[in-house]
Amino acid sequence: MPFKLLWRNVTGHPIRSLLTIASVAVAVFLICMLHAVTSGLTRTLSAAASNRLLVQSAVSLFVDLPLSYQQKMAPVPGVEAICKWQWFGGRYEQDKGGFFAQFGIDPETFLPSYPEMSIVDGDYDEFRKRRTACVVGADLADKYGWKVGDTVPITGTIFTRTDGQPWQFDVAAVYRSSSASIDQQTMWFHFDYLHESLETGGAIGPQGVGVYMLRIAPGTDPIGVQQAVDALFENGPQRVQTTTEAEFNRQFVSMLGDVPSLLQMVGGAVLFAIFFAVLNTMIMAGRERTRDLGVLKALGFTDRTTALLLIAESLLVCGLGAALGLLLGVVLEGPFAAATASFIPGFGFDRGTLLLGAGLALAVGLISGLVPGLRAARLTTVAALREVG
Amino acid sequence: MAVAIQLHSVTKTYHRAGETLRVLDELDLAMDASTFYALMGPSGSGKTTLLNLVGGLDHADSGKLMVGADDLAALDGSALAQWRAENVGFVFQGFNLLPVLSARENVELPLLLAPLSRAQRRAQAERALELVGLADRMDHKPRELSGGQEQRVAIARAIATDPQILLADEPTGDLDRSTADQVLELLQRLNRELGKTILMVTHDPQAATYADKVIHLDKGKLGRIDDNRTASGAGARS
Ligand SMILES: Nc1ncnc2c1ncn2[C@@H]1O[C@H](COP(=O)(O)OP(=O)(O)OP(=O)(O)O)[C@@H](O)[C@H]1O
Ligand SMILES: [Mg+2]
Repeated sequence: MPFKLLWRNVTGHPIRSLLTIASVAVAVFLICMLHAVTSGLTRTLSAAASNRLLVQSAVSLFVDLPLSYQQKMAPVPGVEAICKWQWFGGRYEQDKGGFFAQFGIDPETFLPSYPEMSIVDGDYDEFRKRRTACVVGADLADKYGWKVGDTVPITGTIFTRTDGQPWQFDVAAVYRSSSASIDQQTMWFHFDYLHESLETGGAIGPQGVGVYMLRIAPGTDPIGVQQAVDALFENGPQRVQTTTEAEFNRQFVSMLGDVPSLLQMVGGAVLFAIFFAVLNTMIMAGRERTRDLGVLKALGFTDRTTALLLIAESLLVCGLGAALGLLLGVVLEGPFAAATASFIPGFGFDRGTLLLGAGLALAVGLISGLVPGLRAARLTTVAALREVG
Repeated sequence: MAVAIQLHSVTKTYHRAGETLRVLDELDLAMDASTFYALMGPSGSGKTTLLNLVGGLDHADSGKLMVGADDLAALDGSALAQWRAENVGFVFQGFNLLPVLSARENVELPLLLAPLSRAQRRAQAERALELVGLADRMDHKPRELSGGQEQRVAIARAIATDPQILLADEPTGDLDRSTADQVLELLQRLNRELGKTILMVTHDPQAATYADKVIHLDKGKLGRIDDNRTASGAGARS
């Protein structure tokens, strides 16, 4: 195989080759990013624990449940611990554009129910004892430079303080999570602090509980607990829907629409567009070389070699494009993950992402090379030399 | 003198738009080794077709075609490709150099098919280029060469593997008189000094005078064969 000829054919048309390489690179980059998003979502879903159930209003996640439900659910057999969750929806004063989630929770049952979380700085006991304390994700602490002992002002958008001031939360501990079920960018504070502020008129906002998390005892059948809890409130005042954590996450993600399929469709469209572009370029290149191919055959090169020459050229161009696109992806993965961590949990490249990007590019290269390659194999010298005259 | 190329009742037809065109019609012809032949005839008389058959670029429909000891009808596909690589060198009218490769690299191309080291390949290509008088143009790309120089590179490429037979289809068709004469002198030298058998298609009677013998083809049939060496007058050159 005359490698020099292969290389010269590619570099002989520098603009065309660079454009093709660039478009393959962009496509590979896009497809990798899309794949990283979908696999991130999937990872989050599959990381769900099986011993945690979530109780929400049967109407909608946005409808609160009464506080009194906790006592009623506590005696259900198999329920080991209950933790309230309330979405706070506040804004950090110093970062108007940024966003991260805050939840009011029950400190006593929260950490023991989420063994994937570990405290990496500060003290969880300190958090439990202080009403205004909070625990923040390690990534969040890094991003804003928070340290244990700092006070973080958060302006409520759902729950506003009557004194017109932002809420103040004292950072008592920093956590890391080893599973995609809990991200590294959330702030947790006392549900009771929020509740008492509402009770005493220190703040105004809806009273109630967004979601109850039930931890079930080992060996208990989650379906039985699910049915028992649902039955408890069948006649009101508010009917509930009890789901496994996996199911809950799935519903949560699908609130955004069927994101994974949408992204897959976009990725497929990108792939198609690039396939036709590369195919067109390679067919053009093959036609241009009709005479060269005829000469090579006259010199004694076989049909197979001349076909391989075009296939290899296509693979080379697509391979270079893939390498560039993957490089771009790997370089931008970190910044992109940091920028989107709060709304695309689990974003990240894995081996599958890289293989997918490289594999698709090479497949495009192979097929695009095969079309002119097969023509080259069938071409006879007599026809090739006559065709161009 | 040994017979290099032998045709027995060779027929070649083309089918176009329902018509059958007999391009070569039961042609009988024997060509001696180490002889320089010119092939002449009106346009469409089948000269290129004959050259392609002899060079193993195409198959005859019927008849027998022997080149050296090889029956070309028995060879096909990659075997025929390999036979071409070892036995014939081609020079076409449009200087069929690959534009992206330098003169040396063009000449090295057929050597890629021979069992040679990179250094041997290079040395052999350079030797061929020296032989055609282009030692100082080895790194030039085809577009940086004149027409005559390009054609000499093509000749260097044709002889790089040292084949016994050279086939040239109107090698001087695109060249002016004096450039054409240089190329023809080169071919004559390859025949006289290296003993190559040369079959050269030409329309130019003056080019034909460089050959030992001139074969006339007309409508796929053999016409007369002139021997320049025995003929008297301006035709003979030595
Ligand atoms: N592939 C083909 N299909 C159909 N007809 C063909 C084909 N190749 C050649 N011919 C016809 O065969 C005849 C002989 O062609 P050939 O090229 O051998 O002529 P030639 O003597 O070389 O002519 P010229 O001097 O113009 O080069 C022509 O009439 C040509 O049109
Ligand atoms: Mg011709």
